[in-house]
Amino acid sequence: MKLHDFQSAFAETLVLPEPIAREPSWVGGGRLDIYREQFWLRHIACLVEDFPLLAALLGQEKFDAMVAEYVAAHPPTEFQMRVFGAKLADFLETTPDRLLADVARLEWAFIDAFDAADAPPLDPNVVAQIPEDAWPSARLVLHPSVQRMKLLYPAHKMREKWRENEDARPIARPERAPSNVVVYRQKFLMYVEEMDDLAFAMLDRIARGEALGAAGDALATETGRGEEIESRIGEWFTRWSGLGWISRVEIASR
Amino acid sequence: MSFRERHRIPDLGVGVGFRPKHAKDVLDDGGSPHVAWYEIVSENFMVDGGRPMDNLARLLDRHTVIPHGVSMSIGATEKLDAGYLARLKTLVKRTNAPYFTDHICFCRARGLDLHDLLPLPYTKEAIEHVVPRIRHVQNTIDKPFAIENVSSYLTYQSSEMKEHEFIAEIAERADCGILLDVNNVFVSAFNHGFSAEEFIDGIPAERVVQIHLAGHMDKGAYLLDTHSDHVREEVWKLYERAMKRIVPIAGRVSTLIEWDTMIPTFDVLANEAKLAKARLDEAVGGALP
Repeated sequence: MKLHDFQSAFAETLVLPEPIAREPSWVGGGRLDIYREQFWLRHIACLVEDFPLLAALLGQEKFDAMVAEYVAAHPPTEFQMRVFGAKLADFLETTPDRLLADVARLEWAFIDAFDAADAPPLDPNVVAQIPEDAWPSARLVLHPSVQRMKLLYPAHKMREKWRENEDARPIARPERAPSNVVVYRQKFLMYVEEMDDLAFAMLDRIARGEALGAAGDALATETGRGEEIESRIGEWFTRWSGLGWISRVEIASR
Repeated sequence: MSFRERHRIPDLGVGVGFRPKHAKDVLDDGGSPHVAWYEIVSENFMVDGGRPMDNLARLLDRHTVIPHGVSMSIGATEKLDAGYLARLKTLVKRTNAPYFTDHICFCRARGLDLHDLLPLPYTKEAIEHVVPRIRHVQNTIDKPFAIENVSSYLTYQSSEMKEHEFIAEIAERADCGILLDVNNVFVSAFNHGFSAEEFIDGIPAERVVQIHLAGHMDKGAYLLDTHSDHVREEVWKLYERAMKRIVPIAGRVSTLIEWDTMIPTFDVLANEAKLAKARLDEAVGGALP
């Protein structure tokens, strides 16, 4: 066997969920199954660490089975274990229990926000110098840690309650209640903010790079709530700046 | 002139792996007089920002840091990951480390990253494959590179030589350093029934830039390299043997205590570093500084 064939056979074995019945002929001594066991222990432990509420909600047996299905669908391909769980929320959306996907999406947002790039807070002096007529064409650049998501279940409230006593069982399932949630980091601490539909829709447009004026106009057309948008835009800017969500205002060159 | 002399690789004394759990002890409280330097897991600092990168900045303000990778996959038959090497280069530059390290193993195959340090068969074919890759890595990062022996749980039918012969030939031909993990030698020797002493005596001393020490777990039929406990007495003895051999040839060499699971308080870890220094002093006595 050539080096490439050994490595290919090794990898093929490691991702098998069941123990190896017989050592392959290329093994001289020892046990290949130790590596297979360690592969699963390591990847399960990684996801338990990244998705603690999901793990608690499912219990060990169901969680392990879910990881086996996840690995079959999305085997690890990146050198950083840090990103192994990146597709878990999307994977769970293909399963019947949508709460699981919501919990996974929320918990993954914490992972992404935790080590997202740093950015200085918005400088009020710079904001004060922006001419009033420049605001409609201004683009707000969000802090890299800001993670936005729409949830069908209030997984954020569930998580908050669970964190009061992580050992309590069973974990109560919340009623279905769609919500808009932002997970973000201030300095090194993580926070969750719930938003109403209109504010979230505006934030969404800003995140996509739309200029303030164009975003407001498009949202007004879409919702028929132009006056409300106009009256709340200042409040939103103040609130989002205060939370550290806005790191920069880009003014179009004249 | 030895590898260390050519690259001016210093003896840093005894260090420990930096772990977030000890951030307050190390970054706020100044660490310990028994810990002379810190090793970081390179991949943990290949992120964009937040707490990890702030920890690194603060660590670098006061301490010498050596990046130690677990994902280079130098022995894989897949192409080296250029993106990974670019990030590693940035990290090595940022740490201003005199050298960087990773393992002589493979991590990737069939397009998968298995996140493990998988052993290579000790064959001429593997040597021919690995040597140019090490040279490429060393040239790309533009700093000396040292390869670490891994602990293993299987051997290959096709191996043509002993592990220390394999590593020695690769290091000589690639002109790289060696990170001698004494615990790994002990674990593999137990698991495969070879002589740990012969391994230690067969490694080219002048290429050893660092020694790793760690605790392992006795699983009955085999030993598992868990980095989860104190260094065992048998490993200390092997460490002393290694130092008695290396120090007269190449001078004192840096030592690192690894403790990655069931991580103790920083005091316990620092005490293990203190013990390493004492065992080293006792072993080499008035030998070369």
